[in-house]
Amino acid sequence: MTSRFHYDLVALVIFAVVIAFGVPALMNYDGFELNTFARYLALAIVSAALALSWGTAGLLNLGQAATFGMGSYAMAMHLKLRASDGLPDFMGWNNVPELPLLWVPFESLAFTLLAGLLAPAFIGGLIAIFMFRARIAGVFVAIITLAFLVAFQLLVINQQGQTGGQNGLTGLAQLALPGWTVDPYSMGFYYLVAGCLTVALAIGVYLTHSKFGLILRAIREDADRTRFFGYNVATYQTAVFCISAALAGWAGMLYTMVLEFASPTYMGVSFSLAIVIWCAVGGRESVIAAAFGAIVVNLLEGRLSDVFVEGWHMMLGVIFVLVVMFMPRGIYGLLTGLGARLRGPNRARGAEPRASHTQQLETGQEP
Amino acid sequence: MDVIANQLFAGLSMASILLMIALGLAIIYGAMGVINLAHGEFVMLGAYATWALQSFGGIGILPALPLVFVAVAAVGWIIEKVVVQNLYHRPLDTILATWGIGIILQQAVRLGVGAESRFVRGPDLLSGNTQIGPLIMSNYRLFVIAFSVAVLYGTWLLMTRTEFGMKLRAVIQNRRISECYGIEAKRIYSFTFAYGAGLAGVAGALITPLFSTIPTMGTGLVVDAFLVVIVGGLGSLIGAASASVLIGEATALFSIVINDTLGRIAVLAGIIVLIRFRPRGLFPTETRR
Amino acid sequence: MGQLQVTDLQVEFGGLRAVDNLSFSVAEGEILCLLGPNGAGKSTTLDLICGKTQPTGGSIRLNGTEISQMLEFRRARLGIGRKFQVPSVYKDLTVAENLSVARSKRPGVWSALTRLALSDAREACAILDRVDLADRRDELAGNLSHGETQWLEIAMLIAQDSRLILMDEPTAGMTLQETEKTARIFRKLSASHSLIVVEHDMSFVRTVADRIIVMNRGAMLAEGSIAEIEANEAVKTAYLGH
Repeated sequence: MTSRFHYDLVALVIFAVVIAFGVPALMNYDGFELNTFARYLALAIVSAALALSWGTAGLLNLGQAATFGMGSYAMAMHLKLRASDGLPDFMGWNNVPELPLLWVPFESLAFTLLAGLLAPAFIGGLIAIFMFRARIAGVFVAIITLAFLVAFQLLVINQQGQTGGQNGLTGLAQLALPGWTVDPYSMGFYYLVAGCLTVALAIGVYLTHSKFGLILRAIREDADRTRFFGYNVATYQTAVFCISAALAGWAGMLYTMVLEFASPTYMGVSFSLAIVIWCAVGGRESVIAAAFGAIVVNLLEGRLSDVFVEGWHMMLGVIFVLVVMFMPRGIYGLLTGLGARLRGPNRARGAEPRASHTQQLETGQEP
Repeated sequence: MDVIANQLFAGLSMASILLMIALGLAIIYGAMGVINLAHGEFVMLGAYATWALQSFGGIGILPALPLVFVAVAAVGWIIEKVVVQNLYHRPLDTILATWGIGIILQQAVRLGVGAESRFVRGPDLLSGNTQIGPLIMSNYRLFVIAFSVAVLYGTWLLMTRTEFGMKLRAVIQNRRISECYGIEAKRIYSFTFAYGAGLAGVAGALITPLFSTIPTMGTGLVVDAFLVVIVGGLGSLIGAASASVLIGEATALFSIVINDTLGRIAVLAGIIVLIRFRPRGLFPTETRR
Repeated sequence: MGQLQVTDLQVEFGGLRAVDNLSFSVAEGEILCLLGPNGAGKSTTLDLICGKTQPTGGSIRLNGTEISQMLEFRRARLGIGRKFQVPSVYKDLTVAENLSVARSKRPGVWSALTRLALSDAREACAILDRVDLADRRDELAGNLSHGETQWLEIAMLIAQDSRLILMDEPTAGMTLQETEKTARIFRKLSASHSLIVVEHDMSFVRTVADRIIVMNRGAMLAEGSIAEIEANEAVKTAYLGH
């Protein structure tokens, strides 16, 4: 286990070095290419965030796009205000007479950054308390979060005067940090996103190897047993939901800066399930693997969708079904399985099918 | 008053469509514990099959129904054999796999038929309206309501009065013991999945004159249908029926009081609260979980 | 006045009284054995004490605090540990990780966020020596044999260090030597812990029990030392059916 911690730290360093030095060199330091890659890195954060709640705690959150969207809109509101003289243009089109109260504090950058992290954490926490106090688990978590996502997206689209409705928020300014206006096509911006991803992954790696992560894995396996050791399961589940939501919000803020707009599309069911795909392909047990999965799938999508246009989505579906069926632990599972085989048969940590599981299968008993 | 009566009818019409879709989902979930997110795409396939039969074969909706049922059931049967059967012990993964299948089906249709919306003509026989006082009801919608009730009754008969239904209930209760008595659980599962898929196909055929047929039409429907299943109580037919009426009427009535979107949000919020306090639904049954 | 005081405890499952007006107490450092035929309500009694099942009547007091309405994790924090009849360890976690979970002196989220997963493992490994699992520290618990799993769960309860430990059939599936060793461990544990043990193995009960309660159909049939129980007519009747 401690050795696993070391492996993860080494993987994190390699990962950071590659995205810091390898990728820009491969892209010939081209601003456009780097912007595209920064987009993948931002998505990698939200994929890693899902790995925390899904892989570690076993809570399949199908509403991750909602918290991502909150961060995205928080940043977009700030940048929209920066781009507008007085009232943002779309408000005028929607006959909104003056700046809505919700918008006022987004004049402040500090407030925006805090809101982009804390608003998702707060909302995620509320839903989590609501569910986990009642000991809702398994597929019900997936369904409730999915229903929340649908409702939230509808709400955002419906509140046209505040959110720009279906069009989202466009015509944004570039983020002005003290002494630095962030051009999304610059090297500096690329390093900002890469740095954020590295920090997010470091947090994720630490959490999965902390006692917190261990208790979450215990809860995933047997929540009832864990209660009898004195752990308040609902609090742990709520905490991981909040952390995961905050990371998703962070990713959302960066994403808005990359794209220079915010759109309700990125609060939709399809986007939410896309996050699940990235996470599953990379490997839900490891935040680094999940981030890697997001980058690989998006990179493939970027390259192959030019060639296959419509065919790409179908291939993605096929890949995903195959991963779920034959590679349930993703690329990470393949690698650790391989590593375990190299080290000898006795140390195959989870690489061989779990004895208990297969037995249950044969006897037809429920887990 | 007139508005309310007409909205009540609209709600009932919506409920009948929800029921048709949710029924297959409820059976599949109740029997096998599989959350079939490809169900919306089965509906979509049914709609496209109907469109194809009408445009290329000149076959109207009503005679097309049995053909569509068989065709979509066959698709479901294959999917069950190839994918779902391997995932029964991993319920969360069935969500993911069936969703992946949904993407594949959706894109296959998009590639094969195109993304533009297709229209299907309703049966001439049912083209008019029936008026009772201020209440104006489209004959076709009345037919769909009646049809869905008939399908509900037929499914209930299938589950309770046939040998297949008996075997299925035995497998739900205890798969291992049933197998000891010579019931082939795998076959029962395949047939159940196929039947559920077939029902979705029929639902798709029936809604073609009411909705425009596009490759993405299933996505929205499956979420709603799922909520119906969970609110109703997993695997309960009566539950699914009551929940679809409840959700259909609630949506219709909310949309007069507030607007359509906010009405839908309110219904979703209500459902979330309901699942929270009654996670086993309004009509819980003993099901395989 | 003991550490645990159970008064008029009862629970009904659909009209069936699984535990019927049961009253008893456990003193500090005492080993109380619950005996009785299958379905007598022994495991249910443990379930009621640890919070797995809610009682329909009566009271349970731990060191004077009423706990019968508390959530299970609060009871655990007050000092109640439970070993289940079917060994309940985390099969996907390693042996050391299992012990680290069990070692729950500071069960809050904040303290868990600020410590590494195995920060509590060092002390736990001393426990592994006692149950002969030291060399399997990094093995997945799912790969242990049935006997080893029993040991692991016992080790987890020692690690949890509850003042009152509820043991449900701890020696099931153990060899004679292993059972004797368990008895030695239990005697040693009783120096600083109280134990309630549900057990069928009479020789084991003879070795460890300070006091015995025999249950039948949810109610107490007899209470006393091993000699008193063996001489009790009501117990003979219940067991032999005369």
